[in-house]
Amino acid sequence: MFNTMTRNARQLARDVGREAHDLLERGLDRQLRLAVTGLSGAGKTAFLVSLIEQLRHAGLGARLELLPAARNGRLLGAERVSQPDLSVPRFPLEAGLRSLSGQHSPYGPEWPTPTRSISELRLKIGFRPTSRAARMLDSQRATLTLDLIDYPGEWLLDLPMLEQDFTTWSSECETQLADGRGDWAKDWMAAIEGLTPDSEVDEDRLAEIASLYTDYLHAARRKGGFVDLTPGRFLLPGELDEAPVLQFFPLPGLGEWTADALAALPEASLYRTLARRFDHYRRRVVRPFYHDHFRRFDRQIVLIDVLGALNAGPAPFRDLSRALDKLFDSFAYGRRHLLARLMDRRIDRLAIAATKADHVTPEQHGAMRDLLEQLLADPLKRLRYRDVPLKAFTIAAIRASEAREVVENGQRHPALAGHLLGEHEGTSDPDTQGAGRESVLLFPGEVPSRLPDPNFWAESRFDFPHFAPPQVDGKAPPHIRMDAVLDWLLGDHLK
Amino acid sequence: MTTESRHPRPGKRFTSPNSAQADATSTTYAERPTESAAESTAESLRGARHFSPEMESQPLAAAEPEPATPGLDATLSAKPRHRGLKWLLLGTLTLGGVEAGHALYQAAMGGDLIAGAWGLLGLGAIGLGARALGKELFRLRHLRKHVALRAELEEHQQDDFGPESFGQGGFGQRGDALATPDEDSGKAGGKADSQQEDLLEQLRRQMKLGDDDAGVRAWRAACEAHHSPSERRELFAFHVLGPRDREARRLISRMSGETAVMVAVSPLTWVDMSLVAWRGLRMMERLSRLYGLELGYASRLRLFKEVLASMAFAGASELAAEASMDLLSMNLAGRLSTKAGQGLGSGLMNARLGLRAMRLLRPIPFHENEVPRIGELRAELFSRMRKADKGEGEES
Repeated sequence: MFNTMTRNARQLARDVGREAHDLLERGLDRQLRLAVTGLSGAGKTAFLVSLIEQLRHAGLGARLELLPAARNGRLLGAERVSQPDLSVPRFPLEAGLRSLSGQHSPYGPEWPTPTRSISELRLKIGFRPTSRAARMLDSQRATLTLDLIDYPGEWLLDLPMLEQDFTTWSSECETQLADGRGDWAKDWMAAIEGLTPDSEVDEDRLAEIASLYTDYLHAARRKGGFVDLTPGRFLLPGELDEAPVLQFFPLPGLGEWTADALAALPEASLYRTLARRFDHYRRRVVRPFYHDHFRRFDRQIVLIDVLGALNAGPAPFRDLSRALDKLFDSFAYGRRHLLARLMDRRIDRLAIAATKADHVTPEQHGAMRDLLEQLLADPLKRLRYRDVPLKAFTIAAIRASEAREVVENGQRHPALAGHLLGEHEGTSDPDTQGAGRESVLLFPGEVPSRLPDPNFWAESRFDFPHFAPPQVDGKAPPHIRMDAVLDWLLGDHLK
Repeated sequence: MTTESRHPRPGKRFTSPNSAQADATSTTYAERPTESAAESTAESLRGARHFSPEMESQPLAAAEPEPATPGLDATLSAKPRHRGLKWLLLGTLTLGGVEAGHALYQAAMGGDLIAGAWGLLGLGAIGLGARALGKELFRLRHLRKHVALRAELEEHQQDDFGPESFGQGGFGQRGDALATPDEDSGKAGGKADSQQEDLLEQLRRQMKLGDDDAGVRAWRAACEAHHSPSERRELFAFHVLGPRDREARRLISRMSGETAVMVAVSPLTWVDMSLVAWRGLRMMERLSRLYGLELGYASRLRLFKEVLASMAFAGASELAAEASMDLLSMNLAGRLSTKAGQGLGSGLMNARLGLRAMRLLRPIPFHENEVPRIGELRAELFSRMRKADKGEGEES
């Protein structure tokens, strides 16, 4: 008891120190922490590369018509500076630009390689202030320090685990397995066949089963298109690869045991071992992330690949809805404890963006947004209730297609012109990516404005194309509504 | 609506990628069958009844909320109450014309030169009168059209999908889409899209701006294919209306300043009153010309009336909020001479009139946060009066 109190006090002191430092910096200069997240494949890396490039070229060359500060010519550009927290990896901007430049691939520009872990980058944005007080303070030019933090959305799915114990988590996993995922989990199920909570299993065998479980998660994500997969670190371990803390798995059939019976099991039993690791994972992996990073964001943007989920089919689509439900819960999480409430600097603006809007024709953007809204119906209600300022967008961070019009039989049809990625797109295999790019003019199909019913998928399917990125050549990449997003996320600080 | 339209249209590929204007004959289809999917999901728990699809039906009417205050558009688009007067005028003109023509004819027949001259004069007078009346009516119609267009643009501002309608409570608004499940919102969106585009083009023509106007050119250059209607409107407001807004503000500031000085130096009260009225009308006319409207006598009066009404109704709360500031500036006015204080008062009144007219005249309504406020004008006015007062003091 006493121990915890001193620890809390020490933590508090550290927090106060940090907050005071931030406060000072905010007083002297302007500062903003913007977090970017999304489930893998949503386009986080492309978004960040584009965002940084738009800001860097904001004074000259970038098209940011919907950002009033840029439209008025007040935005002067941005510069990358060294980040404050040196223990966090820096965002690989150069690598992203290299792959977009297309100079290192025989096939032309490629999409940047995806995020694997948390990374950070600090920008200083120069602008001309408008308010009288600001003009008096910094004369003609002011700077806004923008910290960009990029982290996998999968990690957020772990946050509800903070409130679960091993038994509830296991039963949750069990219900998920029943919903169309069993195919990917066969090997793992075979391995735990016959294991009961009281059996004793040695370390190596545990590691083996855990790795089978990890394989299942990977397969369900890559081949099945599922996203609501916990524990998130199994998929994107970051710095924890191979550590024993990542060697556990849910134990089906715990419902048949009473809590007392489980508690009475010996220390070396399977149940106790797994529960111990689960607890450790919660305490030492999930909570620190929440505490060190998540809590300190000012602004947050969540990227969602709606079209990809439509392509994948009904079960993954339902799954995405569930995962987003969890994910958005975390934005309202943790204000229950008094201490947390005192220290909490809550997110004061939230943006939700359906990405890859360039893969459908412009008149479909409305339907795309309606669909996003339906997909998020429940979390949106909760966020509205908590009065979190929120806006949704349909964006394309890097616009890979061009909106055209085709006249056919005297009727005008919208169409997109672009280059399709080769057959093996999406795989990280360097030999096949980019093979056989084809220049096309197509109408990609309509986006349903309401959640499609499962029957619909049974008879037909969505097949939205995958375009290859455009040639950028050191300019700001073309985009759809990045300027509107920037206005919502930064606009009020550029005054 | 038929069941087909409830399902999204499938993708389609066009073959010649380099020409956007592809020929129909050279286009191949890679269409997937989707139309037949899930056709029989319409049945619900209540005993089903089928209507023939050809049967006429209309959307279930929901009660439209009454506007809280009758705006400019409401009053203007209301049927004129003086219909009898109009007919009387028209009748007089016609009869007078016929009589004058008849007299002329008779005179020509009878060789009575004087009577012929009178007839000719009468005909000319009637012609002039008719022309003036026609012009007035035409301009009144122009104003009415302008107001209607503005109302339509405002309506679209509320119902289309722009980022702004999504955020603050926007989710609730979009709930309308759920209420009419048979509406294919993709298509509806497309329709609204082209409609909106037409509206902006119509507005451009109505403001008599050619394609080579700097603002229009900048607007066209700023628009991209993927911009939503509301974004296009925002850009229009910035590129085309922005310069005019600034001009209007300058005009209001200058004219109200002049009015203030005039009132300050005028010796008689009735001169003050007529000065204020005349300057007010004058300012409104200039403002409306800035926004592409040419006002006749009747339309000017009507607008004046509307501005006053809007100041009395819609502006009441605003007035209350600003009254304290006005009192404060009256305190400041206490530091001026009595005459200069009076001038400041009428100048402020004039400026408020101008701002209100600007809000009513601007074809695209102002956003909440860009509505011009009187605060800055007040400071300008005060410094101007101070200067005038000092100059006066030195002279005397």
